[in-house]
Amino acid sequence: MDHFQYLLLMAGCLVLTAPLELLGARVYRQPARLARAVLPVAVVFLAWDAIAIAAGVWTYNPRYITGLLLPFRIPVEELVFFLVVPVCGILTYGCVQAMLARGQSR
Amino acid sequence: MTGLGYTLPAIAAVLAVCAWELLALRTGLFRRPAYWLTMLIVLGFQIPVDGWLTKLSAPVVEYSATQVSGLRGPWDIPVEDFLFGFALVTAALLLWERQRKCDRRPAPASGRRPAERAESR
Repeated sequence: MDHFQYLLLMAGCLVLTAPLELLGARVYRQPARLARAVLPVAVVFLAWDAIAIAAGVWTYNPRYITGLLLPFRIPVEELVFFLVVPVCGILTYGCVQAMLARGQSR
Repeated sequence: MTGLGYTLPAIAAVLAVCAWELLALRTGLFRRPAYWLTMLIVLGFQIPVDGWLTKLSAPVVEYSATQVSGLRGPWDIPVEDFLFGFALVTAALLLWERQRKCDRRPAPASGRRPAERAESR
């Protein structure tokens, strides 16, 4: 199970933030808008990741990742991270906005 | 430590994202209380999640000592990670916000959006 630590952490983030959609975030209901917000940013950060890995700025403990590598020796977990973290941020933003709007209209 | 590998790019990323908004996108995101509240919440969750990845007792990610400032926060999170996280989440929120239709302004007191009012006229 240790090899799935990083992936399980990311899964936990998705599970924890999923209810925000029902609290008014309205993010997963706009999949195209979500993709246009998350994917370009993920590409830039993957490029940064690739450079940092090649330069030895950071390394991944083989014990806690699956070992599946993308091009440029990027662990697949990193791609998941760059998708999951912004989605969680947008869900939070959507939910906060919905709650502030509800407070205003009361 | 030189910090060249991570500290400088992390600072540059924050500056780049801010410049992108202020000079090009101009979505008004930074004027929205919802944005700053979101970033506070994100910061609160970054500490346990990022901390899990960086804790020195069983690190998932390890940083070259010569490439970071050496300042590490709770659970040994490198201070650079907070800049990295800010840039990552803010960039995605900017692209999300840029695609916002109609309701550029916060909802008026009536609770109806300006666009809806225009449509119902």
